[in-house]
Amino acid sequence: MPARKLYFEAIRVGDELPALAKAPIDRVQLSRYAGASGDYNPVHVDEVYAKSVGMPSVYAPGMLVMGMLGQLISDWARGGQMRRYNVRFIKMVWPGDTVVCKGRVSDRHGTGGRYFVEIDLWAENQRGELVMKGSSQIQLFYSLEDENRQRSGQSPIVVEVPRESLATATASAATGQAAPEEGEEGDERRAGASSKKTAPREKPAAKTATLPTAKKAKK
Amino acid sequence: MLDKNAIGRASPPTLNEVEKGAIRRFAEAIGDYNPIYYDEEYARASGYPTIIAPPTFPASFHSAADLRELLGVGIKSLLHAEQGFDYERPIFAGDRIYVSTRVSDVFERPGISGRMDIAVIEDEGRDEEGNLVFRARRTLVVRAAKETP
Repeated sequence: MPARKLYFEAIRVGDELPALAKAPIDRVQLSRYAGASGDYNPVHVDEVYAKSVGMPSVYAPGMLVMGMLGQLISDWARGGQMRRYNVRFIKMVWPGDTVVCKGRVSDRHGTGGRYFVEIDLWAENQRGELVMKGSSQIQLFYSLEDENRQRSGQSPIVVEVPRESLATATASAATGQAAPEEGEEGDERRAGASSKKTAPREKPAAKTATLPTAKKAKK
Repeated sequence: MLDKNAIGRASPPTLNEVEKGAIRRFAEAIGDYNPIYYDEEYARASGYPTIIAPPTFPASFHSAADLRELLGVGIKSLLHAEQGFDYERPIFAGDRIYVSTRVSDVFERPGISGRMDIAVIEDEGRDEEGNLVFRARRTLVVRAAKETP
């Protein structure tokens, strides 16, 4: 039997995803990921090479950590369909590092029988330093009844749910519950294209108030 | 400064066949043991036609793209700064997906250690009927080699 599914009606803005602590990353995992992804960049698998280009050792590809943060989402949003998933790589992850993945529901909305939740996501290392930051949009059935209706070919349950970000922006700023500050390496590593080139975020201007770190890059 | 003329340059679509074993190995490498990636019956009971691939699985797809050719410069180093995916639907075992890559933007941005060249590379995956399956965007900090390619 599949695990219990998550439905839109049960989710509230501010809900935290159960944190996911991954096993420490080791060089075997880096090799396995290289093989599975087809990315054999030697900085991730060849210690001698990595040192020759000035690195203290091999380091994890950002996409591996993005995969871990993806696991956090999929574990939580069982029965949901991921529509969008964006991250920014902030700090390097080294062998021996333990990645802890965290997330929080930042918005929920529905129209015309389609229901979405927006999640703020981040990953920290064992020192609590931010290594990655991102967001995702998940589409869900409104309820079990909605799923059963749609699976039997009937029309979806339609409930108009306006975005809640406008209402929560003030509250989260006041309580300091917004996503964590980025690390110092963020500025250098951040490329600044996201504000322009990521998929349409469909977010109202007020959304930025819940993301104090989402500075707009100047072109 | 990267050549603005690179914007729009694209590689032809390349076929990627999504194999169950590849999905399993990819999920194992992440350390993600969700049965939806391994167990056919479980996936069907969850409402899918077959097992699905993890969200970052398109990172394993091949395309005919050669970044040196697309960007028109020799590359000294690349730093992966951002990554994004948009999904039209899950990727299923057995899917045949055509992946093409294009340069969606190049620009310059001031960084802590001087100006940085940024390239935004977009992959697009379509099924055999031409329906969009996913889009992936990589934002790369590019250090070009001194000599021309």
